[in-house]
Amino acid sequence: MEAQKVDMFIMSNGKFFEGHQINMIREKLLTVDDSKWAMLSTAQFKDPTTILIISILAGSLGIDRFMIGDTGLGVGKLITCGGFGVWAIIDWFMIQNATREKNMQKIQQFLY
Amino acid sequence: MALDRNKLYSILTIACVAGYSWLYISMTNNLTESKSVEVCLIKHVTNIPCPSCGSTRSIMSMTKGDFVGALNVNPIGYIVALIMLMAPIWIVVDLIMKNNTLFNTYQKMETLLKRPTYAIPLVLLVIINWIWNIAKGL
Repeated sequence: MEAQKVDMFIMSNGKFFEGHQINMIREKLLTVDDSKWAMLSTAQFKDPTTILIISILAGSLGIDRFMIGDTGLGVGKLITCGGFGVWAIIDWFMIQNATREKNMQKIQQFLY
Repeated sequence: MALDRNKLYSILTIACVAGYSWLYISMTNNLTESKSVEVCLIKHVTNIPCPSCGSTRSIMSMTKGDFVGALNVNPIGYIVALIMLMAPIWIVVDLIMKNNTLFNTYQKMETLLKRPTYAIPLVLLVIINWIWNIAKGL
């Protein structure tokens, strides 16, 4: 893929990934062929900040976990009142990284 | 960070240990029964019970043999009790046999629950249960 397209992708989607993964994504994007561009440019990623807001407001119901696709953990959080309230607070700090990991898993489906 | 077998098993083990110790604390402090709701963040902040408020009381009445009473307090208590009884045994069996049947079942359940045909009725059930909780004033 052309470097210009890759840089455009990184610029508009950089916030969805971990800092240390961005270089790897860039290298990988440069090697894949142009046919993936259409799919990549329309891919929807979850915004870590939005999920953090949801986690603070409705974390005890597990809605943050449901939204990023961790249904099982979401059910766990829901039926234990946010893990006795402890897990809900831990997730305020973990959920942004978890969201970025989920985004990484999603982009890997396109790249490989 | 992706959830693998060992991570799931450790999360479940921690949850079960926390659950059993919480149950033990609540059982020994029987005199101050109103204290059993005080961990819930939602209840603290808004004074409205959350969907799973009362599951401790539900399990406590189950241990006393009052199964109808348990259902009346909160039906979610049955799900929690089932998971708390099954998970430790299943984890130990899996670890001894070096299997990952629990992890596979978990992943199958996760994909099932993501389907709207299962998700929508279950969400409705939880919401109905929540309304019932608020009406009961747990």
